[in-house]
Amino acid sequence: MTDLLQHVANGVVQGLFIGMAALAITLVFGIARFPNAATGDMMTFGAYAGLVAQQAANSLVLAGAVAILAGAVVALASHWLVFRRLAGRSVVSLLVASIGVAFMIRAVLGVVFGQAQAVFQVPLTRAQLYWGVRVTPLNLQISQVVVAALLVVFAVLYFTPIGRQMRAVADDRDLARVSGIRPERVMVALWLMAGAVAGLAGMMLGIKTVVAPEVGWEMLLPAFTAAILGGIGSAPGAVLAGLLLGVAQEVSTPFVGFSYKIAIAFLVMLGVLLVRPSGLFGRSESVR
Amino acid sequence: MTLEVRDIVMNFGGFRALDGVSLTVPAGGLVGLIGPNGAGKSTLFAIMSGFQTQDAGAVLLDGRPLDALAAPARARAGLVRTFQVPREFRNLTVRQNLLAAAPGQTGENLLGLFFQPGRVAREEAVIARRAEETLRLLKLAPVADQPARQLSGGQKKLLELGRALMLDPRFVLLDEPFAGVNPVLIGEIVARIRELNAAGIGFLIIEHDLEALTRLVPYLAVLDRGRIIAQGGPDAVLTDAAVREAYLGGVA
Repeated sequence: MTDLLQHVANGVVQGLFIGMAALAITLVFGIARFPNAATGDMMTFGAYAGLVAQQAANSLVLAGAVAILAGAVVALASHWLVFRRLAGRSVVSLLVASIGVAFMIRAVLGVVFGQAQAVFQVPLTRAQLYWGVRVTPLNLQISQVVVAALLVVFAVLYFTPIGRQMRAVADDRDLARVSGIRPERVMVALWLMAGAVAGLAGMMLGIKTVVAPEVGWEMLLPAFTAAILGGIGSAPGAVLAGLLLGVAQEVSTPFVGFSYKIAIAFLVMLGVLLVRPSGLFGRSESVR
Repeated sequence: MTLEVRDIVMNFGGFRALDGVSLTVPAGGLVGLIGPNGAGKSTLFAIMSGFQTQDAGAVLLDGRPLDALAAPARARAGLVRTFQVPREFRNLTVRQNLLAAAPGQTGENLLGLFFQPGRVAREEAVIARRAEETLRLLKLAPVADQPARQLSGGQKKLLELGRALMLDPRFVLLDEPFAGVNPVLIGEIVARIRELNAAGIGFLIIEHDLEALTRLVPYLAVLDRGRIIAQGGPDAVLTDAAVREAYLGGVA
């Protein structure tokens, strides 16, 4: 029983990362209407930016701010330089372009930082026992930061003018235009927000594991799975599905082994989609 | 303040949808636009609202050409359209649908949002009050917190009107406001349009329900095969030989 709880706890932390990545994907899909395969590498970019900042200033808080900023900047640059120019093309064109952007980011990071793994310098701490579950203060802090970031994103999305406009554009772009909303402006805010989420997620993942050019890319598959599972375009769905996937993967690890836990993600997705083709929180009409 | 289209020409491939259309809606005017299906009415609305670009001619608001303005800018300038099949932000509540149509807020960009929270809150309070007034006016207050997708067809028509009002319009282009609406609600919509018109908002209304339309508008224009073939008071227009020919195919 304690073992199970332990796996659940580990799964929640893992699930928060998946959920953040899935949130960045689903926001872009809902508003810009394509699956952004560069999301993972935007995370990696944030992780490296945070790493550089931490090494320079020896402050994790500053590193976090830099990671957020770097993610936002690289996402906005991708929009301006690539995605905006392809607006109106097919989803496949944009998907392929985003794969290209992903390779670009990864290649630049590889050239600048090399292929070796790097780690954040964080103090080693002893795990605490909560109801028999071992939780390290580091994992707790990472989880708190992620939850706080998610709360900020949801507050912006649901309680502010720009969030309202984002959801309006996601629902009906033409109607938004006749309502005086400028979709291009909304798009800028969207990319800044999705990039910031990705950048912070990348750094948190880097603190928990390692920083390497591949780490974000490897998150992409579970993140896409969570975005689809949550009902594509649904922000709360993406986060909850991410948590579900993280927990399912960790809980199943003792039974299927470490190497196959990724397959569990797909089993879960398959199961849910058979029952609810539009995902947990999706409506088929929202996919166009 | 007048709304004018001048010599609008629009071709789709080899088909001339609009062939030199000129029409003026005076300030606070109430003009009906009728014509058989395919006459070009909706195309004219699409051009006026900035959704399509005409091949020739101009759209003028108070004598000023609007051609350089994209659709959102025209809406902000006070020229607002609705859609024939009512559209709504389906996942937003009715109230949020109205709030979304009040652009120009500080909180629309992330910098303003995070660095001027007081100003954002004040502006939000102002548009929230306007949204409440609009909800009351259109009798949508009871459903204000429902997702807009749950509204009936007639309520969605009212919501379209409400969204237009949030933009503080000078002219509203209504595309078939009575289509698919039950008679009681038609009376309601007519009454609201009258009130708003009395308050100075000009309307150009496409409508097939001539009975309801002629109760409302003192001035009719008839579009047929891309040309205005008659305009004037409803009685004169509807007895015009060319109009009867176009509408009834010469049966009458």
